[in-house]
Amino acid sequence: MRMAIDRLLKKRDVPFHLFDVSLDKASDPQLQELSKDLGLNLSLDEMKRVREHFRSLNRDPTDVEIQSLAQAWSEHCCYKSSKVFLREHIFNIKHEDVLSKGDAGVMAFDDEYGYALRIESHNHPSAIEPYGGAATGIGGIVRDVLCMGAQPIGLIDPLFFGPIDRPVELPAGAKSPRYLMGGVVSGIRDYGNRIGIPTIAGGIWFDESYAGNCLVNVGCIGIVKRSELVTNAVKGTGDVLILVGGRTGRDGIHGVTFASAELKASSEDESRGAVQLGDPITKEPLIHACLEVNSKGLIHGMKDLGGGGLSCVVGEMALSGGCGAEVDMDKVPLKESGLAPWEIWVSESQERMMLAAPRKNVKRILEIFDLWDVNATVIGKVVPGKKVKLLFDGVQVFDMDLEFLTAGPEYCRPSKVQSPQTKRTEVFPKLPMDFDKILLKMLSDPNIASKEWVVKQYDHEVRGSTIVKPLSGKINLRGPSDATVVKPLPDSYRGLAVAIGVNPWFTSHDPYRGGATSVDEACRNIVAVGGRPHALTNCLNFGNPEKPERLGELKEAVAGMGETAKILNLAIPSGNVSLYNEAPTGSCLPTVTVMGLGIVEDIRKCVTTDLKREGNALYLVGRTKAEFGGSTLFRTFGGKGGEVPDVDAKLLQKSITSLNACMASEMLRSCHDVSDGGLAVALAEMCIGGDVGAEIDLSVMNPLPNTVSLFSESNTRWVVEVEKGREKEFLDRMAVPVTRIGQVGGNSLAISNEGLVLEKPVDVLRERWSKPLWELLV
Amino acid sequence: MKSEDIKVCVLRIEGTNCEEEMFQAFRQLGASPEKVHLKQLIGKCSVDMRRNLPDYDVLALPGGFSAGDYVRAGAIFAARMKSSLSKELKAFVSKEKPVIGVCNGFQILVELGLLPAMDGIMSDHPQAALYTNSSARFECTPTLLKHENKGKCIFTNGMAKGKIVMFPCAHAEGKLMFEKSKEKKMLDKMEENDQIVFRYVDPEGNYAGYPWCPNGSLSNIAGICNPAGNVMGMMPHPERVMYRYGHPDFTRTGENPNSAGDGRAIFESVVDRLVRKA
Repeated sequence: MRMAIDRLLKKRDVPFHLFDVSLDKASDPQLQELSKDLGLNLSLDEMKRVREHFRSLNRDPTDVEIQSLAQAWSEHCCYKSSKVFLREHIFNIKHEDVLSKGDAGVMAFDDEYGYALRIESHNHPSAIEPYGGAATGIGGIVRDVLCMGAQPIGLIDPLFFGPIDRPVELPAGAKSPRYLMGGVVSGIRDYGNRIGIPTIAGGIWFDESYAGNCLVNVGCIGIVKRSELVTNAVKGTGDVLILVGGRTGRDGIHGVTFASAELKASSEDESRGAVQLGDPITKEPLIHACLEVNSKGLIHGMKDLGGGGLSCVVGEMALSGGCGAEVDMDKVPLKESGLAPWEIWVSESQERMMLAAPRKNVKRILEIFDLWDVNATVIGKVVPGKKVKLLFDGVQVFDMDLEFLTAGPEYCRPSKVQSPQTKRTEVFPKLPMDFDKILLKMLSDPNIASKEWVVKQYDHEVRGSTIVKPLSGKINLRGPSDATVVKPLPDSYRGLAVAIGVNPWFTSHDPYRGGATSVDEACRNIVAVGGRPHALTNCLNFGNPEKPERLGELKEAVAGMGETAKILNLAIPSGNVSLYNEAPTGSCLPTVTVMGLGIVEDIRKCVTTDLKREGNALYLVGRTKAEFGGSTLFRTFGGKGGEVPDVDAKLLQKSITSLNACMASEMLRSCHDVSDGGLAVALAEMCIGGDVGAEIDLSVMNPLPNTVSLFSESNTRWVVEVEKGREKEFLDRMAVPVTRIGQVGGNSLAISNEGLVLEKPVDVLRERWSKPLWELLV
Repeated sequence: MKSEDIKVCVLRIEGTNCEEEMFQAFRQLGASPEKVHLKQLIGKCSVDMRRNLPDYDVLALPGGFSAGDYVRAGAIFAARMKSSLSKELKAFVSKEKPVIGVCNGFQILVELGLLPAMDGIMSDHPQAALYTNSSARFECTPTLLKHENKGKCIFTNGMAKGKIVMFPCAHAEGKLMFEKSKEKKMLDKMEENDQIVFRYVDPEGNYAGYPWCPNGSLSNIAGICNPAGNVMGMMPHPERVMYRYGHPDFTRTGENPNSAGDGRAIFESVVDRLVRKA
């Protein structure tokens, strides 16, 4: 077989690496072998389609051409398995405030400015090389925001690892969760802190299913003057293409094709070269220079080099402008000599951007990049006709029709929707008699415990515009924040609230409700700090879409997310799908990471989670039901099945409006959403940050059993502290169910229901909540 | 001099990344800051981009990771300045023009020998070091500082001695150290010269260990000035708390979120001084 494959690769008589690939004569098995051998990761049908195309041209493709197709047609680049669902539930969401749906979505911030948002995955690279994988994940997402002309103003990193508090069985080749977590956090820290963009939000989730498939999601937001919003396209045939930033090397070859397959034991050896090397000290000045040439009106278009490298960026930029391009590949600055043309074309080396600019501006553009000692090189020009041609050493190595190149396949693969878990399937766990024990155990669960160990390593205040920080409360006694608020403009009090919503356990029990919950949670968090939910972006992390059950999960979760967003009138101007998060031990939990953005009308009125003053009344907003499917209680104490909390989007909408109104008139002193661990954990966290206790009487929630009142994770709920004397005003404003559950006071969280249910000093709660990660990650 | 006539050079190279908030701090007080790349001061750019250090009234070195800080923090930026700008720098400092360095800027001033500069304007070799935090971690956290200067430092003229302020810090290398054998002598001399500006404290104003002192700095020192008082360096970031709403607990304290944040006094002191002077 090997010999046969070699015979299909015909070396051209040129002084560099260039092969013609004899598809025309290849048998089906040979086509499959070629795909594997060249690292294309294309299916037999896809290879056949390529063969047909070149048969119609009466020639064979070069290795540069076939490699380019493999990039463009990868799951990562063309969403071939997921597009059918996204079109049905996401792409059709219309919103008047969407300014652009480019590499990042851009929404109206105020009359003069827009904000950019995007989140994506860097899962596979981080599983192989956590430090570099995470760092270059940040690098990539920052470029997506930058290429809209936006100044990046915040990074958001939701991370998912195997358990760190108990032994875990690792699939062959997988690295230990603690090692991965340490590497990923360091990578984000060293890259994010160096480029000077604050890491403001995120989270860490732990579950066995992530042991073989860690997930590293990276988000970024930016701010852009509407007049400086730039397209990711060339303008016309007068433009030249200027490659700026880092040099091109052999790092990051086949990143996207690697990301579009399952991880296996041999991935480490085979795909190490797919992980790029980051260089924040090229990125930092690159940001300045790109923003400067854009704000001076010197460029027509800008796009980042990410997955697929030059092969994707040149074609996409040219085609978006209705043109083609000719590129002189000898001009591309290289890290080392001797790269084959196909390697230069598909390399995903970091810190690179492509600018399209009129020729007359080239001199000024190069001067600006020169001040920052950043490479800027004219490598090609825009030409009429939707074709890209590449020259290397005077030889044409590539001549492709862009419409064929970018028209990746789209599949309607078989999917199987399994019936969700319900009350009927519920096995209620045997709980300790003592509610204190339940609460303390939950507070120490790494999924709930303080993430201070991580938070303090990230500079979350650089740029001086972080208003609500990731931790809230008294200095060095702080509790969690629900959302982070940044103030992007020096002369405006308008702010942006950023929050993550994700519950993989809910999603695995009931994908539709899990998708809906992600939206609910992101909105809850935004509302809790005083924001009005405005836009969402998402990163959908799922297993192998060629398995019908996996695809069924994706289908339902997308529907749950999209339909909820529609009712709430939330825009979804960008998004990302990451499939094949699957190791030999199984798939990761279906993980719908929603990043929500909210508008804060006046950052001076923001509210935080920490309790403020003794005597203020505490209310529970929303309805509590016995919904335990996927809950922390069940996971901690061994419950099974059960109904996943539903989302009533209309009720959520009303809650948002009511709470926004209350915060605008400054009657709420603290507010915390009720999520993991239910009401008991929410109250404990509020006490921790405020360094004060609370007296709670659950009798108002009867006939609900105490277990339900305290630990149910029903959606669309908040605990609020109302300023003394304004209770009536508060009740008048609230158009949703509200229950007065107690008041702020004392040194303990004391919960009663016709007798004491639970009482723990705040110091003990803090100790149990604050310490676990510090102790586990020494 | 009117405040808008005060020209502030906010100096940067690649990896300097706190220039925006430093720029805004001076701008909000009505001064005229400008973000200037080192290459613009030493003529390595096109003619229209060139600038001259003597034309400025204040030099501000912002925080960040200049040149990546892949060797000792601040060392590369300092070396570039020393090789190409020494004369101008010395002249700037001897004219008692204000120089402020925050975080990486402080590290650069120490590497340059402009701090503590106990025997004059600029020592030939660094007299101190800002070493890796005792925790060996990057520490992004609010810190409480006690103002300890008796009146020498021109950046804290507007601040009562003993006042406790909150400036956030964010660094991995902030532990002030002297050569072990000279430690006591140096410290005594710094006290004698009134060169200590801020020390880390707990909420009661006591000198305390981690986490109140985030880096294990000698004698809890957070910020120092030169003997003349016109060059100040500190690890925490006053420019991040120009307004109360920048404080991590502003939702708790009931103070007007619009009122001055603790960091404002640093910039006000120097702007007021320059306004009064001329």
